[in-house]
Amino acid sequence: MLTGAIISGLMFGLYFTLVGLGLNLVFGVMRIVNLAHGDFLMLGSFAAYWLFTLFGLHPLLAALAVLVVFVAIGLPIYYGVVPRLLIARDSEMLSIILFFGLSQMIEAIASIAFGTNERSIPGRVLGSGPVSFLGQRLPSAWVFGAAVSAVAVAGVYLYLYRTRLGTLTRAVMVSREEALATGIDVHRISAIAFGIGIALAGIAGVFAPFMLGSVTPAMGADINVAAFAVIVVGTLGNPLGTVIGGIIYGVGLMLMQTYLSSWANLLPNLLLIGVLLIRPEGLFGRAVRRA
Amino acid sequence: MLRRSLLGFAATLPLATRAWAQQAPAEIKIGHLHASSGPFASISMPVYTGLKIWVDETNASGGAYVKAFDKKIPLKLISYDDQSSTATAATLYNQLITQDKVDILVADSGSVLTSVAVPIAKEHKQFLFDPTGTGAPFFVDNPWIALIADPVSTIWPKYIADYLNDEGVKAGIKTVAILYSTNDFTGTQANAVRGFIKAAGKLDIVYDQGVPTNTSNYTVLINNIASKSPDAVIHLGYVGNDIAFLRNLQDSGQKFRFLFSIYPGIETEELLKNVGPEGLKNVFTYVTSAAYEYKPEVGWTLEQFRAAWDKANSGLNFGFNSIAGYTTGLVLQETLKVTKSLDQTALRDAVFSLSGKLNTLDGPFVLDEHGGQIGEITPLGQFEVEGKEVKLNVVYPPALANGKAVIGK
Repeated sequence: MLTGAIISGLMFGLYFTLVGLGLNLVFGVMRIVNLAHGDFLMLGSFAAYWLFTLFGLHPLLAALAVLVVFVAIGLPIYYGVVPRLLIARDSEMLSIILFFGLSQMIEAIASIAFGTNERSIPGRVLGSGPVSFLGQRLPSAWVFGAAVSAVAVAGVYLYLYRTRLGTLTRAVMVSREEALATGIDVHRISAIAFGIGIALAGIAGVFAPFMLGSVTPAMGADINVAAFAVIVVGTLGNPLGTVIGGIIYGVGLMLMQTYLSSWANLLPNLLLIGVLLIRPEGLFGRAVRRA
Repeated sequence: MLRRSLLGFAATLPLATRAWAQQAPAEIKIGHLHASSGPFASISMPVYTGLKIWVDETNASGGAYVKAFDKKIPLKLISYDDQSSTATAATLYNQLITQDKVDILVADSGSVLTSVAVPIAKEHKQFLFDPTGTGAPFFVDNPWIALIADPVSTIWPKYIADYLNDEGVKAGIKTVAILYSTNDFTGTQANAVRGFIKAAGKLDIVYDQGVPTNTSNYTVLINNIASKSPDAVIHLGYVGNDIAFLRNLQDSGQKFRFLFSIYPGIETEELLKNVGPEGLKNVFTYVTSAAYEYKPEVGWTLEQFRAAWDKANSGLNFGFNSIAGYTTGLVLQETLKVTKSLDQTALRDAVFSLSGKLNTLDGPFVLDEHGGQIGEITPLGQFEVEGKEVKLNVVYPPALANGKAVIGK
């Protein structure tokens, strides 16, 4: 059971890397906390559900559509909200309040629009039967989820370290003021990062019906807690540290389900408290974030 | 002298009648909570909608007849949205009792959101009409509650255990795994089924674990259960838990000889949409009044209620909780027909006086001395796949069976 829990946790954790990746990118670039992150993920889930139900669109194609649409949605949200937040004295705290309100609005509107029934996409769409991996039988959806997450992490890495926009983004992550002083269009860079952040949430949402059983408009709050645990463990503001955070979360969750199942939902909170008490800067600390 | 007395009595009679009529309220306020969002919305909204259909239907006929005032009185349903939050629900239950001063208090659906209503109603000596909160603690040392529309969880799973101890053992079932969500509803059911199995002493429980109610992934848990090689698996969870469990089971490729799950029988449409017919194939479940037609002496038949539900066009799937909401309305209707006043003690006496005398589309209404429902026990059923649809056969007890159970090899 131990081996099974660890291997399952690795695969499941890779998916949670994708869940937390966008949240961490947004925090890293803008130092704002997007409490509506889980709700954008929920919207991605419903987008995939409707695209499949109405047009039979495969989730991988739905993920591409979500990527484009959510980046496009993210840009006006950024320009409508974030610049005003950033000139405030305590933008981090204000962002928590503002995005909490946005989260509530999205959930309420989604409940009215989609209803409260549970929704899902048939598992066979991502392959029938389990996949054998290191002697363990895993759902094929997990393999898809983990693979898409790996592609997303690689994409974010390439964007940050192999493109000019990425270099500028990292400059903003190190110091917004210095970036501004050197003539970088900070708002343009931040808007793109914000769009990518919620697009990553949307892509994670596309696979949520497979990874989480079913989706409802109310799923955002639980997702936020898990996503925060992942990015705090993997270091706030360090998108690539999210990989380690996700894997620790996934393996930890599966070990808890195996040996202390009744207490499994305490894991995100335990991880948050533990990391904040022992190593508040996260596992990678400040040095990596400045790389 | 006698003539003068009679004349005096006759003269005061109209005044007395007028005073009696004045005591009748202009409307009867029914306080209720529902969850339009959050994890319990899918079991709460159907109950609310079913209750609302009854209120609308009753008001269309001039109101509910109230014996205490010998007249029909319109109903006013005051229902607040607790958003599946127990903290919000606690505030709103208090508001219904102390601010709105409702005549009748109806809890939200399910044990979690009912659990906060129980102590509040008890403290205020307000009788609680509990549609579907079946947790055992609600009925301990509490004269202010009655479970209306489904059986108390301490006895609900009896047919599962009876079937396994009887037919299951004959078919070679020797070991059982129990996986349940840790809440009042399924926790109580797990305690009950465990107790029944242990009391019979014919089966070994090889896996017995609780998981948080918000669990959404069961793959590792299913693999852990499979590693114990149980012949029978009993999974006790809410709608979302059952959907995730059955989907993960399909994806994992694991098979168990006997598999029981609660919600396939309670919210069949929703489970069928999410899990598909193959995911429900041969699954054992409760056969509720949504799939088993009782002969009601009061209110609509299942077919008539289904037609009213479709006409209401709520966008919600039809299932047992829809019937539970309507059944709650019917019990209120019959209570008002016999109550001596709207006083909470009188309402309690009236509800208990219905026990054993009321048959609705949800089956016979029978309360034990603590207010637990013991009449609407659901038979054990098993799904049979017919193309893209499923058919739910009653397989136990033998007296009600209309199909033969299939136990895997």
